[in-house]
Amino acid sequence: MKGTDSSHEGTSFTRRDFIKSVGIGGGLVLFGQFGVNAAAWALSGDPVLKMVLVDYTKCTGCRTCETACSARNRPVSINGRDLPGLGNPRFANIRVHSFNPDVDVPNVCAMCADTPCVNTCPVKPDPKTGRRALYRDQATHAITNDPGRCLGCRSCAKACAAQRRGVITPNPTTGKPERMCTLCGGDPQCVKRCPFGALSYVEVRRDRKFYGLGPEKIAAELAKGWYGTAEFGGMK
Amino acid sequence: MMSGKPGYHGVILNIDLSTGKSEKVAIPPEDLARFVGGQGLGMKILWDRLKKPGVNPLSPENPLIFMPGPFSGLPVPSSSRTCVVTKSPITSPVESDYPHASTVSYSNMGGFFGPEIRFAGYDGLVITGKASELSYVVIDDDKVEIREGKRFKGMRTDAFDKVFLDALGDRRFKTVYIGPAGEKLVPYSSILHTAGRAAGRGGMGCIMGSKNLKAIAVKGSGQPGVADHKRFLAALEKARSALFGSAYAKSWAEQGTARAIVANSNAGTEAVRNYREGTFLEADKIGGDAARRDVWVKDIACYCCPLACKKSGTTKGKYGGIVHDGPEYETGVMLGSNLLISDMPGLLKAITTLDDLGLDQISTGNVIGFLMEAYEKGLIDRSFLDGIDLKWGSVDATLAMIEKIAAKDGVGALAAEGVRALSWHIGKGSEKFAIQVKGLELAAHNIQANQPRGLSYVTASRGACHMSGDNIAMQNRRAMLDSTGMCFFPTFEPALEEPMLSLLSAITGHEYDKAEFEKTGERIFNLEKLFNYREGFRRADDRLPDRFFEDAFTIGPKKGSVLDREQFDAMLTQYYKDRGWDSETTKPGKAKLQELGLDSI
Repeated sequence: MKGTDSSHEGTSFTRRDFIKSVGIGGGLVLFGQFGVNAAAWALSGDPVLKMVLVDYTKCTGCRTCETACSARNRPVSINGRDLPGLGNPRFANIRVHSFNPDVDVPNVCAMCADTPCVNTCPVKPDPKTGRRALYRDQATHAITNDPGRCLGCRSCAKACAAQRRGVITPNPTTGKPERMCTLCGGDPQCVKRCPFGALSYVEVRRDRKFYGLGPEKIAAELAKGWYGTAEFGGMK
Repeated sequence: MMSGKPGYHGVILNIDLSTGKSEKVAIPPEDLARFVGGQGLGMKILWDRLKKPGVNPLSPENPLIFMPGPFSGLPVPSSSRTCVVTKSPITSPVESDYPHASTVSYSNMGGFFGPEIRFAGYDGLVITGKASELSYVVIDDDKVEIREGKRFKGMRTDAFDKVFLDALGDRRFKTVYIGPAGEKLVPYSSILHTAGRAAGRGGMGCIMGSKNLKAIAVKGSGQPGVADHKRFLAALEKARSALFGSAYAKSWAEQGTARAIVANSNAGTEAVRNYREGTFLEADKIGGDAARRDVWVKDIACYCCPLACKKSGTTKGKYGGIVHDGPEYETGVMLGSNLLISDMPGLLKAITTLDDLGLDQISTGNVIGFLMEAYEKGLIDRSFLDGIDLKWGSVDATLAMIEKIAAKDGVGALAAEGVRALSWHIGKGSEKFAIQVKGLELAAHNIQANQPRGLSYVTASRGACHMSGDNIAMQNRRAMLDSTGMCFFPTFEPALEEPMLSLLSAITGHEYDKAEFEKTGERIFNLEKLFNYREGFRRADDRLPDRFFEDAFTIGPKKGSVLDREQFDAMLTQYYKDRGWDSETTKPGKAKLQELGLDSI
């Protein structure tokens, strides 16, 4: 069973999309998007990883998750003590993409086992830790950047956008990657604060149909089912 | 730029479309304390900008003001609202020294626009002047651009929403815009947001159209600070606990306001057959249960709202298509019960078309109801209606009429002026069933069996307004609530009251208890009254159409109900006295103005 989960629910992806987006050979196409990732998982040593999973039928687009994420991950210091910030959504690591017709797609790090973002980092692995500038923290499992070693080359963001969800955003000034989910030390605030129960914190393998897809593709797929349309606003 | 006043940026963005110049203008700190934001601060800005009565609402001078409040941009539950304020293009007094006399106007919408204004670094936008050609404004933090938008001329709002967002190239932009009706200056045209939310009432789209302004896009990266961070966090926790996962919130998510389509019909308080009845025998066909079963696929929330009262879905058949929102109570009743339309897809086609054209659902439904009655009574014939067979319950005739109004084509040009203008033109006693106050059409709450709502309609500052409040305390409270940026709907939950006041105090550093909250609202309501009084509005303008005193309901649980004129007048007299206003002229008294600090204004 491990690494060959084929219980995907039929994405509309073409073979070429798969090869282009995942870069792994043709035989794996049969597994679908998640199957490909599951295989990549196996090749990556089958780590047990957890992620923030979205139930798109329950998301209402209220963006409370953005504010909860930002409050936690952008704390403010008051009298030398870190307190949750005011939740400016611009600094959230989860972002709800809203479209016309109404489809809301929260976009958050997919916790890819094969880490295309890390693989593309041009900084030489540290001989002691084996880490590039971008690495997966072994304790938290979060993709983490070492700003001291990071060149600001943006290749991680490009890899994420081209191959997965496009979550990683380069800082406009320094080019260094931002918006990687921290999982809030194992208690993701977005999950905790969602008023509609649309988010859950589960093992990555439970994400099937939409695993690793960008918000536009997910929105298009959902709109077909909900509204019978492929005509969209906000796709750019 | 910091005002030094916590909870605010301390600046509004002033955009003059005539000169093409924009600038940040500091807000006097005492205005922030006394008028708060939203409707209140918008009114103060309107008062300051229009120093004399009688300014033509369609002139470049009349400001179009977009106001978030102190909650906006912070993660306070349901703090999604934007209040649009201007001088009304619809209302007028019975008598006045000024040919362009009209009331203040305000319209309040949900969504994401108000919070985004605050993210961009402003406590409000004030648009004045008139662009030389159809234009749009793009605000990206400090960067403000006025761009030529002729290619968007005549575009309907759903198509425009999509094309505009793609043209901006970043879906973080939050946008508002008008449809063809606003461009044509239909007095009751609306401003749309996210294709399915509207600042619908009071002629906002008309004012925007008069400025040659098709759209505004805003995007920002900042946030205002708060006075007491720890208190804010603690109160936020309480506010969330009061609503998140509550039965109250779930009930809103289930049916939104559409629940009231059946409930109010059963209570005899619904606008049916041009307000002739209070009960619609087919209400269940267009109500929340039917919509949940046959139409809705998704619940949609505004910024940080745990209620999710907005619904989208699809319909099939002749009138089939995508529905961005609805039926809600107001849209479902004004285009449904009030016109005796019980065909759900047909009703939703009418609702969708009105949003697409940028017309106020309430005024348009009211106008068509009036015309149906006049047609039925033989006061107008089919040629008057340009051949439209405008019978009760006819979806096709309603859709044809809607298009005519938006285009000001033929009979539509007259109908676009509203129900009062129509009745003046038709005469023959039709004023009796022209359902308006001060020129603004009544909403979907009928009043033969609901006298307090009648008080709301006649004393509201923008003309017939169902949201103003049924008594003085409610009016003051609403005026204040609409100044904070929070939505009205969650505030029926009693457990929210204390955290809401605590949040407002923590943000602004000004201590609000229930009394201070209502006192501030009273100040705002009185400022609106001062404006209207200066324009020439008097007691004779606070008047309901005769129907409500003469035509008792013939069906339903409130059969036989009708308002008593003497009783209603006595209630009004008492209202003015309790307000501290002169009961003959309605002029606010000196003592009251002194008490509210409005005597030197």
